[in-house]
Amino acid sequence: MNPLTLGVLYGIVTLIVMFSGMPIAFALGAVATGFMYFFMPAASLDTITQNVYEEMASITLLSIPLFILKGAAIGKSPAGRDLYSAIHAWLHKVPGGLGIANVFACAMFAAMAGSSPATCSAIGSAGIPEMRRRGYSPGFAAGIIAAGGTLGILLPPSITMILYAVAAEQSLGRLFLAGIGPGILLVLLFSGYAVYRARREYKIAYAAYQQGGEKSAYLDDEHFNFSQKVEMLPRVLPFVTLLIGVMVALYGGYATPSETAGLGALLAMVLIAIVYGVWRPKQISPFITSTIKESTMLLFIIGMSLLYSYVMSYLHISQSAAQWVVDLHLSKWMLLSVILLMVIVFGFFLPPVSIILMMCPIILPPLKVAGFDLIWFGVVMTIVMEMGLIHPPVGLNIFVIKNIAPDISLKEIVWGVFPFLLLMLAAVILLCIFPQIATAFPDMLMGVK
Amino acid sequence: MSHGFELEPAKGPARPDNPAVAGIQTVLNWINLTIVRVSMAAMLFTALILTYSVVVRYFFKVPTDWQDEASVFMLIGVTFFSAAYVQSYRGHIGIEVLSSLLPAFINRLRLILVDVLSFAFCAFFCWKSWTLFHEAWVDGQTTSSTFAPPLWIPYAMMALGMTLLSVQILVQVAAAITASSAASKARGHA
Amino acid sequence: QATTLKISHQFPGGTLTEGDFRDRLCRMFAAEVEKRSKGSLKFEIYPGSSLMKTNSQFSAMRKGALDLSLVPLSYAGGEVPEVNIGLMPGLVPSYEVGAAWKTNEIGKELNKLLLDKGIVLISWIWQAGGVASRTKAMIDPDDAKGMKIRGGSREVDMMLKAAGAAVVTLPSNEIYAAMQTGAMDAAMTSSTSLISFRLEEVSKFLTSGRGQSYWYMFEPLMMSKAIFDKLSKDQQATIMAVGAELEAFAIKEAKKDDVLVASVYEKKGAKVVDLAAPSVKKWQAIARTTAWKDYSDRSENCAKFLKLAEKLI
Ligand code: NA
Ligand code: NA
Repeated sequence: MNPLTLGVLYGIVTLIVMFSGMPIAFALGAVATGFMYFFMPAASLDTITQNVYEEMASITLLSIPLFILKGAAIGKSPAGRDLYSAIHAWLHKVPGGLGIANVFACAMFAAMAGSSPATCSAIGSAGIPEMRRRGYSPGFAAGIIAAGGTLGILLPPSITMILYAVAAEQSLGRLFLAGIGPGILLVLLFSGYAVYRARREYKIAYAAYQQGGEKSAYLDDEHFNFSQKVEMLPRVLPFVTLLIGVMVALYGGYATPSETAGLGALLAMVLIAIVYGVWRPKQISPFITSTIKESTMLLFIIGMSLLYSYVMSYLHISQSAAQWVVDLHLSKWMLLSVILLMVIVFGFFLPPVSIILMMCPIILPPLKVAGFDLIWFGVVMTIVMEMGLIHPPVGLNIFVIKNIAPDISLKEIVWGVFPFLLLMLAAVILLCIFPQIATAFPDMLMGVK
Repeated sequence: MSHGFELEPAKGPARPDNPAVAGIQTVLNWINLTIVRVSMAAMLFTALILTYSVVVRYFFKVPTDWQDEASVFMLIGVTFFSAAYVQSYRGHIGIEVLSSLLPAFINRLRLILVDVLSFAFCAFFCWKSWTLFHEAWVDGQTTSSTFAPPLWIPYAMMALGMTLLSVQILVQVAAAITASSAASKARGHA
Repeated sequence: QATTLKISHQFPGGTLTEGDFRDRLCRMFAAEVEKRSKGSLKFEIYPGSSLMKTNSQFSAMRKGALDLSLVPLSYAGGEVPEVNIGLMPGLVPSYEVGAAWKTNEIGKELNKLLLDKGIVLISWIWQAGGVASRTKAMIDPDDAKGMKIRGGSREVDMMLKAAGAAVVTLPSNEIYAAMQTGAMDAAMTSSTSLISFRLEEVSKFLTSGRGQSYWYMFEPLMMSKAIFDKLSKDQQATIMAVGAELEAFAIKEAKKDDVLVASVYEKKGAKVVDLAAPSVKKWQAIARTTAWKDYSDRSENCAKFLKLAEKLI
């Protein structure tokens, strides 16, 4: 069977198994093992455990639980609620203010963590309940956090950008800087949408109330005078201290990126112990337990998806598909479109790390020949891969949300995320028209290439 | 400042109807809870190790060559050991779209089938983990770093964790097969 | 009916004529073997760890799950302790000594050991390395005192520690970020990797490996014996012949990179220093009492390997 036919079969079987309701992690593992059995040398089956172990045994990947712990310590303790009350007091007049606050919180956390699901979890664990408490619809609350979480790999530090820089032989420093402009663009787009959406939800809630329906929390008329607002300010201190502490450790050269994960988690725990007296095992066990649940679920999916992508790579599926596209000798922008489309399709099943490793060696040379700046493309590809993180069937951020708020149905989440997918697509198009959004910042700081 | 800190009510995993299966699940729950307690400590300890690494390197210019690997081993342990606990709560997320489309009886069959397939994969992975552990033990394999800890340690954690996970899924299959129909109907529509 | 063999490596992918020479070597090997075997052997090349993790390759070859790989041999040191000799600081002082291994006792013993472990050595490749640093040039052992350095292997780390350095371990993909922020002062690695990691952007000094170095790494092209044994005698002979022929190319390109890395760093304004014989000797003296000793104390077999290699210097 040729690799492309095999690839289609692999995709179809995966979809069937996943939609059967089998846990994603086991589904990926089982499909991979099945294809190994039928299409690969028998010896391959003896290597699956070592493969999974070697993929998982990296401090870069395993820093995810620690980032989640850091987020949970703030988000699931009174620190999270206080932070959001303060934000609410200051921003309640702005339509969608809380949504905007969450997008900014995601961006700030993204600058401390290299992974998207960790960002999503950290901000979502307090952000989603707070937004819902204040009347936001579950789908919108889920969508904005899932999308905001994707900033984790667009803003530095970023695991996937590191891999891309090596594969593309581009400067990591330049790539990191190039992610900042588009990161800000996405923050603006998401915030703008939050305003629009909140206005609409408010109107609907108001109309429903007028017709004798339930009174949504949107309509609660709260008023905070200036001194009340100022009194609220110290409540953001734990979060701000954590933010500054971690930033100084990371960018001041005290800690390596993965050490920052441990340091940040510990700092968060110390902060809530000092400020809120939350330190007894009984008090801290709920959020450590939830961290363990969430990170185990995530790491199992990531570990198995790396096994899944190993089989895909061995069977030469992704490489053949990429080669096939390259051999079409398309015009410059067609080539880009088809390649990005392919990244989206692979994003159905694979996490960004695997997509980069398998596709880059084949798609980058022709893109370079076609005249694309590979730094710019790295940023565009990152955004497109981010879209994969928030669309099914395998969308790590969606699973994180499902875990934080199990009562929001998958359907609601998917619909809630959809507008953000469109916004990200818009960002990609804007980047094609105005490449300077990405390249201006690195050019300014590092000189034009 | 508000000190009101709400503990979530401890929701245990669903209790099987069949007394024998329920008995096994109770034992498993106890093992899982113990493991989660240890995992919590391990996680905090990992954060501590990494912080220690930063401190001693910066202030005392001391080599920091074992902290990363020690952390990796701990987190591998946490991940694999708590997989069964997560499964007991059905915390390994799947795509549940069919449950609302299928009639209750067929849905029940589907869930059992999915669990059996999950069990088959986990049991296979478990078996291969034990052989990997065996190889590392017999050959005395270590990692190739300066610290060079033996590899049987993480492999053993992986194998034990997968064993526990496989048993957990098997118990869930047994619970589903032996479930009284009234209860399962209720659950099928949940 | 053609047999397709898979070659996996961790280096950036390119083409036959452009890119990392270790990737190019694999491509040249593939093209030449395919031609000479009249198409009965075909190859698929997986650059940049796109098939499996670097550390999985050796073991996968032993089991017959991977056909070929070009990988630093010492990476397998946890599995087969003897192979740590592939990155023993100070033990190989020049490309010429490295090349002499193949035809001398040490090479024959190494070959035998690897065959016994299920690995066939196809092409013997050595590479020099240097140090990229952001604080000061690291020439003599005294310079290392208090520096936060990533040695990258057990043996190199031991030598650095003895020189008073604060050895840091972190994944290779974090080197750049750690150097940029100053969490790490210096990194020791091969000339080619010093270029491909782009450390010149975050370094102010380079100790180059051109001319002389105490850092030579053995990174051969290897094949799974289980797979090799299944091929016909002709095919086996072709593979061995092409592998041997490419060794000259490897030396030429490795030396080219030693020079290139210096110019790349210079262009970015870094100060480039070369090692003189006395400095190499000083490092060697430290390595002898630390890394070498630790290695030969591990087993009789290791002690034997070290003795045989010492004969060549
Ligand atoms: Na980030
Ligand atoms: Na996806």
